[in-house]
Amino acid sequence: MTRTFDIISKVGDESAFRREIRDWLAATVPADWRRTWQAVRDSDLKAIVVDWLEERRKVGLATPHWPREWGGPGIPFAYQIIVYEEFARADAPELDMYTISLFHTPATLFEHGTQEQKDRYLGGITHGTDIWCQGFSEPGAGSDLAALRTSARREGDHYVVNGQKIWSSAAMHADYCLLLARTDPNGPRKHDGISYFIMDMKSPGVEVRPIRQITGEAEFAEIFLDDVKIPAANLIGAEGNGWNIAQSTLSTERGLLIFGAVERLAHSFELDRRAATDGWMRDVQLRREYAAFHAELQSLRLMIRQLLIELEANPDKASPTLPTYIKLIWGPFLQRYTEFLLRAEGIDALKWQPSIPGTGHSSRLRMNDFLKSYGWTIAGGSNEIMRNIISERILGLPRG
Amino acid sequence: MSDELDLGVLAGSFAEMLGAEWPREKAIAWSQAPEGFAAPLWNQMAELGWTALTVPEDHGGLGLGTEAAAALHAALGAAAAPVPMLGTTLATTLVAAAGNDAQKADLLPRLADGSLRAAVAQPGDAVAAIAGGTANATIADMVDSPSATTLFLRASRDGASCWLVLPAEAPGVSVADTALTDATRTLGTVTLDGVAVDDSAVLVPEDAAAIDDHLLRTAAIAIAADAIGGGEAALAGTIDYLKVREQFGRVIGSFQALKHRIADHQAALVAARGLVEHAASLPAGHPHALLDALSAKQHVTRTVAEIARDCIQLHGGVGFTAEFFPHIYLKRGKLNEALWGTRNRLLDRIADMLEAA
Repeated sequence: MTRTFDIISKVGDESAFRREIRDWLAATVPADWRRTWQAVRDSDLKAIVVDWLEERRKVGLATPHWPREWGGPGIPFAYQIIVYEEFARADAPELDMYTISLFHTPATLFEHGTQEQKDRYLGGITHGTDIWCQGFSEPGAGSDLAALRTSARREGDHYVVNGQKIWSSAAMHADYCLLLARTDPNGPRKHDGISYFIMDMKSPGVEVRPIRQITGEAEFAEIFLDDVKIPAANLIGAEGNGWNIAQSTLSTERGLLIFGAVERLAHSFELDRRAATDGWMRDVQLRREYAAFHAELQSLRLMIRQLLIELEANPDKASPTLPTYIKLIWGPFLQRYTEFLLRAEGIDALKWQPSIPGTGHSSRLRMNDFLKSYGWTIAGGSNEIMRNIISERILGLPRG
Repeated sequence: MSDELDLGVLAGSFAEMLGAEWPREKAIAWSQAPEGFAAPLWNQMAELGWTALTVPEDHGGLGLGTEAAAALHAALGAAAAPVPMLGTTLATTLVAAAGNDAQKADLLPRLADGSLRAAVAQPGDAVAAIAGGTANATIADMVDSPSATTLFLRASRDGASCWLVLPAEAPGVSVADTALTDATRTLGTVTLDGVAVDDSAVLVPEDAAAIDDHLLRTAAIAIAADAIGGGEAALAGTIDYLKVREQFGRVIGSFQALKHRIADHQAALVAARGLVEHAASLPAGHPHALLDALSAKQHVTRTVAEIARDCIQLHGGVGFTAEFFPHIYLKRGKLNEALWGTRNRLLDRIADMLEAA
C-alpha cells in the first residue's frame, strides 16, 4: 500500500513540508538509482530522466522554483530552498539535462516573450516532453561571447541562419534551442546587432555533433547551422536586443543550483570521511588536509546562505557581488577537494568507471568528479573572467 | 543589550576612532620604534568602554558577547593597534566562567575600566606548580606579558588543574622581555620564584577541560577577527597603491597578472569574513561552537598571512622597506597564525571533532 503525498499543501509549516518531502523521497527514490542510471545508454537516458521528472510532477515538484504565473507551484523562496536541501540530503537524481528548460527558457519567455510564445512552449517543459538547449558560445566566441558570428538574415517572414555553436549542453537531446545570432553585422559595438531566437532543433539544416569530454561522456554538443529557417515569430524581444535579453536571464537560477551542488558536496564530504575511517583518515597528513577543507566548505555554505537570505528578503536587491565571489571560490575549491581525494585514495580512485548521470559534481567516482569540476571553473564565464570582473568592476582597478 | 545591538554601527565606531587616533602613519612610526603598548590609545579605549565590552553588566561592563568582541578585534587588527586587548577579552572570559564571587568582584571591574591589563597563558604553556603556599615556574613566550599588570597562569595544586592570578609586580614574579618581530604586541618569559600564593589568587574551575575549550574558542574568534581586519586593511592599502603606482607608462593595477591575484585575495577575504562572523555568532553552547571557531582560526590566519605576504610582493621595492605598511600586517599575521595553537594542532582537533560528530 503506497501512501499518497501532498507536499505543496504543507507550505506554511516548514517542518511539516520538510518531513513530507523527506518521506516522499524515501518512498520514491530507489536506493540503487545510481547503478540504474550508470548502466543506461545515451539513447535511453532521456526516458529515464523524463520518468523522474514525471514522479516529481505528480507531487508538484517538477518545477519547484516556478511562480504560479509560469504554471509552477508558486511556493515561497524559503520552501524552494528546503526542496533543494532535501534533494541533496537524499542524494536524489539531478535534472542536469533540463537546466536550460527549467531555468533559462521560462525566465526568458516570461520576461521578454510574447503571449503566443509562452502559451506554445511552457507546457512542454512542465511535462518533460521538451528539452531545451542554449546556442550561445561559438568556437570564436567563448569568454568573449559578444564576438559571436552566427548570422541571421531576414527574408520575408523568416530568418535564414548560418554558423556554428558549441558547448551546448544536452543539445543532442534537445527539441528547442535558445539561439543568439547576429542580425546586424554593422552595429556600432559588437554587443549591438545580436538577436535572440527560439530555434526548433528539427529544422532542416541543423546538425548536432556530441562532444566527447575528458570524462568520456558527452553531455554537450556542437550545433552546425546551414541555411536554417527560423520563423520571424520566433524572435524573442526586439531585433538587435539579444545581448541585453541574454544578460538579464543568465543569472535566473538565483543561487539555487549552486546551493544544491554545494549541499550535495557537503553530504559527500561526510560520506568520504566515514568511508575512510580505517583508511586515509588514519594518515596524519591527509587527515589534516581533510580537516582544512572543512573551513572552506563552511565558508561557501555561509556565502550561499547569505545570498539566499538576501534574495528571499528582496529578489531585486540582493548583493550583485556575492555570486561572483561564490563562483570564484566554489570551482577551485571543488577542484582541490576532488584532487585531494585522488591522492588520498590512490590507485583505486584512478580506475575507470562509466559516469553516473544525474549526480552533478558529487558522483563520488573520484576521477570523474575531479575532471568535471572544470565545469565550474570554465563554464558560465571562466574564473579568469570572474577575476577581471572583481578587480575592475568591484575593486575599481583600471582595464588593461 | 545585545538584542538591540547593531554590530555594523559598533564596528563603524571602532573604525572611526582608530582611524583618527591610530592612522597608518602612526602605525608605521610605531613599527620602527615600539614602546611596549600604546598607553594613550589604551586609555582612550578604556574611556570609551571598549575594555568593558564583554565584562558582565553587574561587574561594570557592557555585557556583550563574542560578536561584539570579534568586531572590536577586527578593528584593532585593521589598525594594527599595539594594545593588549586579547588579554582583556580572554581574562574576562576566564574570570566570568571560573572565578568565585570575590574574584569576579575584584578582577572584572578592573578589566572593564582598563586599569588591569592581562596576559593569559596559552594551551601548552608551562604549568605553575603550587605547593605549600608558594608557586614556582618558568613560562616562556607569554604574549602581552611585558605590558600586563596581571598574569593569568595555568597552574596545578594538589594534582588538580587551576588558574593562578598574580600581579606582575608581586614579589618573586619577574618578566623578561623578548623582542618580537611583530612590534604591535609584546612577548616575555615569566618566572615565578617562590611566589606566595593564597586562595584568592587561585581560580578553580569546576571543569578545567571545559574552561580550556571555552577560552580556546574565545581566543580563536578574537585572533581570527584580528586577522581578517588586518587582511582587509592590507589588501585595501595594496589596491590603493596599485591604482597610483605607474610603470611602463600606465598604473600597474591595470596589469592582469597583478589584478587576478588581487581578485583571488579579495574573494578569499570575503569568504573568510563570513567564517569569522558565523563562528562569533554561535552561542557558546552550540554543538559547533568550538569546531567552527577553530576552523575559522586556522583558515583565516593562514589565508591572511598568505595575502599579507603577497601584498609585499605586489608593492615591489617599496614593499621591502620599513616605511611602507605591508610588513606590519605580515608580521602581525604570522604571529596570529602561531598564537593559541598552530595550524596543525588545530587541524588535528578539528578532525577529532568531525570524527566524533
